[in-house]
Amino acid sequence: MSLASPSISPLAGLPFGWLTRLRLSHLLLVVCVAVVGWLVFVPLSALLLTAFTEDNIYGFGAPTFDNFLEAYSSWHILRLFGNSLLFGCGTAITALVMGGLVAWVVERTDAPGGELFHSLALLSFAVPGLLTAMAWIFVLSPNIGWLNSGLKNYFGFSASPINIYTMAGMIWALSSHYFPLAYLALGPAFRVLDVRMEEAGLVSGSSYWQILRRITFPLLRPAILSALLLLFILGISSFEVPRLIGRPGRIDVFTTEIQAATSGAPPSFGIASALSITLLLVCLAAILFYRRVTRDAEAFATITGKGYTPTRIRLGPWRWPVALATGLLFLAALGFPLLTLVWQSFFRNLAPSLFASDLPFTLDNYKFILSYPIFISAVKTSVTLAAMSATVVVLLTFVMAWIAQRSATRYGWLLDALAFIPIAIPSVIIGASVLFAYLVVPIPIYNTIWILLVAYVTSYLPYGMRFASGGIAQIHKELEEVAEVAGAQLHQIFFRILMPLLAPFLLAGWIYVFVLAVRELGASIFLVGPGTHVLGTISLTMWEEGGSYGAVSALGVIQIIPLIFIVAGLRWMETRLQRRADSSTSIARP
Amino acid sequence: MFVIEDLYKTFHVGGQAGVKAIDGISLNVETGKLLTLLGPSGCGKTTTLRCLAGLERPDRGRIVINGRVVFDSEQGIFVPPSERALGMVFQSYAIWPHMTVFENVAFPLRVARDRKYSAAEIKQEVVRVLEMVQLGGYENRASTRLSGGQQQRLAFARGLVRNPNLLLLDEPLSNLDAKLREQMRVELKRLQRTLGVTTVYVTHDQSEALALSDVIAVFSAGRIIQRGSPQEIYRRPRSQFVADFVGSANFFHGTIAKRSDDTATVDTPHGMILCSFVESVQAGQTVMVTARPEDLTISEKHPGDGLNVFAGKIAHRVFLGEVTDYFVDLGEGREIRVRAAPDVELGIGRAVHVAIRPEQCVGLAS
Repeated sequence: MSLASPSISPLAGLPFGWLTRLRLSHLLLVVCVAVVGWLVFVPLSALLLTAFTEDNIYGFGAPTFDNFLEAYSSWHILRLFGNSLLFGCGTAITALVMGGLVAWVVERTDAPGGELFHSLALLSFAVPGLLTAMAWIFVLSPNIGWLNSGLKNYFGFSASPINIYTMAGMIWALSSHYFPLAYLALGPAFRVLDVRMEEAGLVSGSSYWQILRRITFPLLRPAILSALLLLFILGISSFEVPRLIGRPGRIDVFTTEIQAATSGAPPSFGIASALSITLLLVCLAAILFYRRVTRDAEAFATITGKGYTPTRIRLGPWRWPVALATGLLFLAALGFPLLTLVWQSFFRNLAPSLFASDLPFTLDNYKFILSYPIFISAVKTSVTLAAMSATVVVLLTFVMAWIAQRSATRYGWLLDALAFIPIAIPSVIIGASVLFAYLVVPIPIYNTIWILLVAYVTSYLPYGMRFASGGIAQIHKELEEVAEVAGAQLHQIFFRILMPLLAPFLLAGWIYVFVLAVRELGASIFLVGPGTHVLGTISLTMWEEGGSYGAVSALGVIQIIPLIFIVAGLRWMETRLQRRADSSTSIARP
Repeated sequence: MFVIEDLYKTFHVGGQAGVKAIDGISLNVETGKLLTLLGPSGCGKTTTLRCLAGLERPDRGRIVINGRVVFDSEQGIFVPPSERALGMVFQSYAIWPHMTVFENVAFPLRVARDRKYSAAEIKQEVVRVLEMVQLGGYENRASTRLSGGQQQRLAFARGLVRNPNLLLLDEPLSNLDAKLREQMRVELKRLQRTLGVTTVYVTHDQSEALALSDVIAVFSAGRIIQRGSPQEIYRRPRSQFVADFVGSANFFHGTIAKRSDDTATVDTPHGMILCSFVESVQAGQTVMVTARPEDLTISEKHPGDGLNVFAGKIAHRVFLGEVTDYFVDLGEGREIRVRAAPDVELGIGRAVHVAIRPEQCVGLAS
């Protein structure tokens, strides 16, 4: 067929006769791009301005470098760097090793239970990070952790053997939360790795260890590096674990320090933004480093469609032991905290150990939470916000992805990049910079639900874009072109052809963003007002300001249960999409 | 009918120097005819079709469809595809998988802006075209549950339902297997004749082009290099490219020894060849002579006077069922292909004579 073509372009070819083609629907496209540009750049500009001007609550002061000088003038900044990098790297490596082992067992061996492990990995997505951190405190705190007291009783230790309030404790708590993500990221790469490349090595006389080192690892390098990058950025951006575990242990990282600077009296926005920019540069450096080392990634022909054979390693008698070990990993990382939370939720005070429970079970905690007016209003706010953000994100990214792939293909990469910028911005920084922006920009949304919406939508653009782009890429362009020739206008093509074909992708994207938004804390903590508390912020307040252990746990369980159902829905969508891609019905190749 | 005047289109891919997809094309076709745009991939034929549809915007030129200017670079006119009242069938068929057979065909009527179709009218029209393409009774079938050939017919029905000004077909048969393709070719021709719809057909398959077309335009590198009826294109190619691309041909290089009226004698390494010329040539000029394998005859005895005759030895042969292709070594490393009836049986290494009538030899200047 003939040349690659820039298609039915409402935007390309502007210089010529463009007025003849300007329609309402085209205007809508421009509006979408403008909105996304605004969402991404206005907060970042506000952050820069705040960082380089004198601290002044009402608008920006005179230009200055003082904020940076002050932020960098004490040894404290070195501790921040050290702690943050150690925390980020430690989490990335621990989670990667755990997730990598699970991925190997599930994808490359014939050990049973693959489906179960996959579902458990998705289940962990339903658990808010804040609750994971709380639960680990119940398990491993030197004072109240049941595992510590159990070990003390059993072995007769005089002091608690494990302390969660350490760097190792933080890394463990966050890794237990993120290792399923490492598994989900590595799984596909393990799945398509051509066994014959390994077999070729075996035939040429290498030992299994040599093959692993010389063939398997190098082939998987791009996938491993991208998972590491993602985990590092998630680790260094995380707020919940440092806030709940790091602060009591006097281990400060950037995210907690930024939040502390804005909530001091008086707040020092200048220092907060100087620290934010520093953290942003660290994330940027990580991405640049990643791009450098994966520059020649395409040379690795691990995924070549042809000749791929999903052969699995036969474990023989080791099938069940390996599956059991994997199960124990899930139990230790996911089961301990979750079961502890559930168990604790049935007792008013600190729960007794599982074996010596002569204290009465009680449902009082649930009764209390469910009739607690602040909880009810937070549920309303969180669910409304999550639904609105998911809807806005899905619609915006759908239009963006369409423009990038169909209309202004020459500038498509620019739109993709625009929508992906927020992935490198920690939620704490999004919260802070949105706050700075709307203190100044004369749009009266400060202290309302709308400022939260702005922050959420900005944060979740990359996820929406991933679903929308993936969906549009699967739809053959000719399906739209034939509609255009048949006489349909742009809006008719959107609503009658694209929307129905993309519906499963958009729905999956919607659910994904919804779950993320319900769990949100890092950005919300900067932006909630008196009437706009969300689930994340009330959980934190209740924890820090002396709610009973039982009530806090019940609050957590009540949040997790509906999320589990929603994630199960996502899993169902996922398998449906997978089946559709596998059978490659008429959408991909009519 | 349509007229294309002096059309240009350049693609810029990744900021590199532009690729001239269409490099100055003028073309027209009368109402009710079937025009084929024929050429190898990347020659600009599909881009031309997409310009007609309005899916590409040319850089320069003018397009008139049924008396209406749909594109004119000087006056800044560009009519979008949805307002050109066309029917189009894509190589992939582009059947909408989320609609039934009925809804696929009804879509052009539902989105029509020039008039409103009532539910009854839509039903009547859809049933009419589905009957026409022999898909009657399939209305409620999910469109994904049709065979390749049926999807193809469905795509035609959708293209025809609004009685389009022009029917544009982009390699519509190339995804079908050989048997079905031949069958569809016959049906397509019959359908086009009965409806009298002006049709533009894009293909790289020369036998399809010869079988279907009223007029063929042969494309190469963004230009039309020859336009004519299938017979003209086949019998009187005006360049080596056309002779080679449409059918197969033997070529002899030589110089003009003598010329009279529209014939000339060409001196080649394999002897004198008498042939016809369209262009004027002079003695001493270097030229090329083309001879189709099926016009050549092969025999052991000398075939007699009045013919161009070459002597050679049979190098190898290929039995194809309906015919046998002999490759005859003329010496000096030169082999020519001769297509013979399957009952001719000559062994490899045999000395033979190959002959052709002068009027079947086409001379090409240059």
